[in-house]
Amino acid sequence: MDLKRDRDATSPGSAGRQPFQDVDALVQGFGRLNYVADRALATAVFLAVELRKPLLIEGHAGLGKTEVAKVLASLLETALLRLQCYEGLDVNSAVYEWNYQKQLLAIKIEEKSDLSVEEKERHIFSKEFLLERPLLQSILAETASPVLLIDEIDRADEAFEAFLLELLSDFQITIPEMGTIKASHIPYVILTSNGTRELSDALKRRCFYHWIDYPSLEKETKIVSTHLPSMEADLRSDVVRFVQAVRQLDLAKPPGVAETLDCGQAVMSLGKHRLDEEVVEVTLGCLAKSMEDGRKIKDAGIRALLGNPE
Amino acid sequence: MDPSRAVDLTESVVAFCRFARAKGLPGGLHRSLAALRAVKAVGSNDRECLKFALRAALCSSKAEWDLFDELFQTFEEPSRRTSKSGSGKQNKTIKVSGQRDTPSQYLIGHHASETKPETEGKTVAGASARERLATVDFSQVPQNDLVRLEELSLRLLRQMSLRLSRRLKPGYRPGPTDLRRTIRKLLAHGGEPIVLAFRNKKPQKNRLLIFLDVSGSMNAYTIFLLKFAYALEKHFRQVHTFLFSTTVVEVSDALRARRLSGALEKLSQLAAGWSAGTKIGASLHELNRLHSRKLQAGNTIFMILSDGWDTGAPEMLARELKTIRHRVRKVIWLNPLLGLAAYEPVTRGMTAALPHIDVFAPAHNLESLLALERYL
Repeated sequence: MDLKRDRDATSPGSAGRQPFQDVDALVQGFGRLNYVADRALATAVFLAVELRKPLLIEGHAGLGKTEVAKVLASLLETALLRLQCYEGLDVNSAVYEWNYQKQLLAIKIEEKSDLSVEEKERHIFSKEFLLERPLLQSILAETASPVLLIDEIDRADEAFEAFLLELLSDFQITIPEMGTIKASHIPYVILTSNGTRELSDALKRRCFYHWIDYPSLEKETKIVSTHLPSMEADLRSDVVRFVQAVRQLDLAKPPGVAETLDCGQAVMSLGKHRLDEEVVEVTLGCLAKSMEDGRKIKDAGIRALLGNPE
Repeated sequence: MDPSRAVDLTESVVAFCRFARAKGLPGGLHRSLAALRAVKAVGSNDRECLKFALRAALCSSKAEWDLFDELFQTFEEPSRRTSKSGSGKQNKTIKVSGQRDTPSQYLIGHHASETKPETEGKTVAGASARERLATVDFSQVPQNDLVRLEELSLRLLRQMSLRLSRRLKPGYRPGPTDLRRTIRKLLAHGGEPIVLAFRNKKPQKNRLLIFLDVSGSMNAYTIFLLKFAYALEKHFRQVHTFLFSTTVVEVSDALRARRLSGALEKLSQLAAGWSAGTKIGASLHELNRLHSRKLQAGNTIFMILSDGWDTGAPEMLARELKTIRHRVRKVIWLNPLLGLAAYEPVTRGMTAALPHIDVFAPAHNLESLLALERYL
């Protein structure tokens, strides 16, 4: 239980194993890459990296869940492998598939050759004919641990989740024709979920968990100024305040940070310097993603939401 | 690093895990171990960081996340009062020489002075998010019709119409070619793909969400319908049950007890607003807001069991029911009063709801439930 040995990055031998000194270093690293991370998120990412345990990030759409993995990959200077989940996702498109067309051609070509059947078989089931999908790629990484992003896991079905469990605990994949492949560099795994369905307990148990909430006023202002540095301070504060007020309404799809940035970008390209009722109305589509929501915002009074109820 | 400190830290983390578990945060030994590892990995100097690490390790959903914040706060409060050492040099390292520290001290990172250690620990008030508003006595419930209800539930769920999922499985009808199996088969024909293998869509079962009214006006039917819900829950995982009157409570877990008496006993402990007033609209809104993930698009059948006597605004009921109908495959409203010959659905709530219902049927006795088979 010698904590010091585990934590001391400067001790010889552990340098390669210790990508981040501590949580604050991670916050700064994320900041350098234009990702405004709070300490809670940084702690979760730090733990995931340090203890090599998957990190499950849940939260509403447009709050930068996917971005976490991208930023982490460039921070670690390693490859990002992304698996987008969808209903009906199966092993063929997630792990590997044989290139059947090529195999058929190879069989035809080799028909006349005097290779033995075993040799032919070994040839058509060699790496040359293997289509590597993201999960297999993450296991096969040769030089450094990649970041594996399993995006919107809640869209895949339970059966796929069960398969993933096995992978996440052993980091090995068995291909019947080739044998078992074990990861030489265990990937950093980040899973994201929009919470459209409850994930299985077994999966959740294996992961660290982080819930990304809507950002506070200061944080959102910081995010906007990081991403839209050319925006005037007055306009920025107008937009952020307005979006924060809109989030208080009972909307079907409250705007995320992505929408705030869209709205800011839209207002800027219209050449406006302040946000007023007229501008909001023409750019409402950036924030309200359904007719009903748009009407709700109008009903609540754009003027009131802007904070000048005269 | 001082080894005794590591031991104390371990102790305090374990103490917190036990505390959290007792207060309703799920998790067993594996979670505690994960928490310990997490805390060690971040180092323990910073209280905030420590909290975040524990939270990442111990929680696995938004609800737990919120509960955790509450628990962490209550955990620190009694120990703030009980810890007794001087408060000078605690910032960087919180090792205090001399007496034994209270377990939670390391989680908190600062020592208050004055009070005595008698009030330690468990006298935490207000940690339960669930208020117990009222209890009911279900012990005298006759169970004679349970067998028939279970038979019925089995039949119903078998009938629940199937939907084709997008996942493909090996099949025999023409469809997308399954090259893997085709290649295997062509071996028998010397490498010519004569027999093609196909992949077809796989049937998928519907889910059922039961939304049961337990308000005062439903008293006569509540037990009977609860038994119905129990019978359904007992055999099938893809059933969720919610009780509502003025609030909404999910009771799927309680109903999955092995015996009906056990289930009813668990239910009686829940504050489900037994025999209270009815706010169907508000309850549906709550359901939409908090449990929308259980209303899966395409394969959920939403079954509401209520008499339609509503004290809330009918517009709200209509709006929320419409939202639900957008999400689910079918909305079935079972109304026990529909069994009465003279009943007309003319209450304000019922009138507002009718346009958004696919099936409107009675549910006052076994026979009426048997008729349900047709609709699922």
